[in-house]
Amino acid sequence: MTRILSVWFPDWPITAWTRRTTCLSGDGHDPLALPPPRGEGGSANRRRNETGGASGDRGSTSNASLHPAPLREPVPPHEGKGGRRPLALLTTEAGVRRLYAVDAAARAVGLFAGQKATDAAALVPELRAEEADPPADVQALEAVSDWCVRYSPAVAVDGVDGLFLDITGVSHLWGGEAAMADDLLARLATNGIPARAAVADTAGAAWALARFGGEGRVIADPGGQAPRLAPLPITALRLDEVSAAQLPRLGLTRIERLLGLPRAQLTRRFGPMVLRRLDQALGRAEEALTFRRPPTPWFDRLTFAEPISVLDDLVRAAGDITERLCRRLQVEGRGARRFELTFHRLDGKAFPTQAGLSLAGRDARVLTRLFAPKLEMIDPGFGIEVVTLSAGGVERLSAAQGSLDSSRAALAEEEVAALVDRLANRLGESAVWRAETFESHVPERAVHPASAVGPARPDGWDPDKPRPIRLFPHPEAIAAVAELPDEPPVAFTWRGRRHRVKRAEGPERIAEEWWRKPIDKVGPAFVRDYYRVEDDTGARFWLFRAGLYGDPETPPRWWLHGVFA
Amino acid sequence: MPGSRQARLTALKGQVAALEAGTRTPTSVLPFGDPRVDDCLPGGGLPLGRWHELASAGMEIETGAVAAGFAAMLARSMAGQGAVIWVMRRDDLYAPGLAGLGLSASRLIQVKTPDEVQTLMALEDALGSAGVAAVIGEVEDVDLTAGRRLQLACERHGATGLVIRRRPWGGTGRKPDTGSAAATRWRVSAAPSDPVGEPGLGPPRWRAALERSRGGRPGEWIFEGRQEADHDAHPLRVVSGLADHGLDAANDLPVRRRA
Repeated sequence: MTRILSVWFPDWPITAWTRRTTCLSGDGHDPLALPPPRGEGGSANRRRNETGGASGDRGSTSNASLHPAPLREPVPPHEGKGGRRPLALLTTEAGVRRLYAVDAAARAVGLFAGQKATDAAALVPELRAEEADPPADVQALEAVSDWCVRYSPAVAVDGVDGLFLDITGVSHLWGGEAAMADDLLARLATNGIPARAAVADTAGAAWALARFGGEGRVIADPGGQAPRLAPLPITALRLDEVSAAQLPRLGLTRIERLLGLPRAQLTRRFGPMVLRRLDQALGRAEEALTFRRPPTPWFDRLTFAEPISVLDDLVRAAGDITERLCRRLQVEGRGARRFELTFHRLDGKAFPTQAGLSLAGRDARVLTRLFAPKLEMIDPGFGIEVVTLSAGGVERLSAAQGSLDSSRAALAEEEVAALVDRLANRLGESAVWRAETFESHVPERAVHPASAVGPARPDGWDPDKPRPIRLFPHPEAIAAVAELPDEPPVAFTWRGRRHRVKRAEGPERIAEEWWRKPIDKVGPAFVRDYYRVEDDTGARFWLFRAGLYGDPETPPRWWLHGVFA
Repeated sequence: MPGSRQARLTALKGQVAALEAGTRTPTSVLPFGDPRVDDCLPGGGLPLGRWHELASAGMEIETGAVAAGFAAMLARSMAGQGAVIWVMRRDDLYAPGLAGLGLSASRLIQVKTPDEVQTLMALEDALGSAGVAAVIGEVEDVDLTAGRRLQLACERHGATGLVIRRRPWGGTGRKPDTGSAAATRWRVSAAPSDPVGEPGLGPPRWRAALERSRGGRPGEWIFEGRQEADHDAHPLRVVSGLADHGLDAANDLPVRRRA
């Protein structure tokens, strides 16, 4: 049974604006501060990591957050007066200035979103008008959703002012759904974020209850959302504007009225959306949520009564939590390839660190060793209060291999894979590779990097065509003297040293792959004639001539492309 | 009690010998299959589970091609025992060329490092891993401490290290060779090939001078690469022994003392 927690932030643009402009000014005013909504520090970090790592489905948001807003923006001068002037955020719509959002005070004096700014100013002269910044609001919402990962690994952004958390099977970590929702709301409240929360079996029901179920939090028992939904207005069904406007006109103001009507007629009259939303709310139809990271049951968390900050403690915490998750993997006969260890700081910033394995594994000792060097980079600030670890790429793994039944070769293979992981974690994924044959006769393209572990393809290079042991990424120009047009040079000068050619082999003609190049990049000038030459000391070189003798447009030039052993 | 004193002395000498050997396991060797070379090496062959230094001269210090070829030939016969790992700062190593020398790319893991320190760290890590037969590293310099660490890593699982002294492009040379913890030190340069009557180039040849060898004596030879088809023989065949040089150096006192 799925359990969804829906969080709604009423007047989110106002909240986000307030936090953007004021909450950053008082440090220490709240130790449980959320990440400042504008992608700053930690959250920008997380987003960068995420696009490269686990989810990868939302690369678009990362750019904006790379340019963090200054940590402390100046407080607007009229802020300090303490007077609660009505506040409205403005936006320009089709050339008309309109109210984008209003706060409670403004709503109390009769202003509403969508009103013309001039009308509003005429009605309420003391109205304080500020510019709305919807993209920043979205960013702020995403920052909050990242922060919510401490509650559940599956968090989805819901529209422009809400979140969905899939809390199936995680609420016990908090001592129940109610305690979890309370903790969430309390922490948000201390940060000046008013919110409402509801837990239900479906996203639709949770959404409706959070917005229309009353103040605070609402928990619908498993399977018990229908009676709770019945008295709610039909706008609680997340309907499109047309239906939402038309249904009440027909007297269908509450959800319970809809329940009794014949489905076929409803569909004919209002389209399939109304019924679909109703079914989704009641759990009769599936609804897919776009989680900001793939939900994984392979998730664990450690909470500390006293925040930790010493490196040794971080290492120990990493070891403990890895041990716990690995034991679960062990019990269920599985191993994972990717692990993300996240340190949640007191001030809400999260520091994710990743470790990858090239063979699925669950050896806590190995993992801890992979994480250990990355922990030094973590800035504990005032302390770390929560550590979470999630595993990705989980797959079946045979039981731990004993020394008796496993062959030595398999054991050696595993040891090499562990070495590759250590090196790749320290030097980067692309720094450890195995060369693989690529079907191309152009020397630069004949090699492709492949995974360093796993079964390897046999070499496919032509053994009759000798190749140098060092191939320069860019051929180096040399001054060469050749006696006859199609002969190898008798002498050449490379890096200021003259070499007399004693023996030579060739030519081996290699043309550009014309199907890969624009038409002006192929032709006789780009055909290379390779020679293998040996100088009088025995040093062997790979030279080529590009261009043709006798053609004034493409005079031949000599290049040195590699050195033989 | 002269008898017991003698016995105690023998026992002490045994202890000292054991201490000097350190944690070293009795090393196996890889014989070249030619007495001219094997006689100069302790145990009758290239010691495995140790690390060896390959130096070169001239432009070769920068390209490192000849030494790389020599190292590949030595590693070829070890590749059957486990993985071969090549750690380098410049990835101009060309796998088809290595395959041409008989070191298959499917057995070779390449590692690119950003700097000297990381190279040494990766070398040490690889040498100390089970399942690794040989590790080839391209470094500028190995000082005594680093050399000792490499040696300890070698001893853990018996991997053999081949360290190519290679200078980054355009860099100025470091200080000249001082002491080193390497088991052997070779100076490798190219030697003219001999195509025996055929046009073109013959099989690659190396002129290799064994400058230092713990427990052995120096010498100098010209090797020729064998085709991969000769599985049993050592990949390197001695073409000519420059014996006079070797004998001279063998009488060189400082060398013997170090040995």
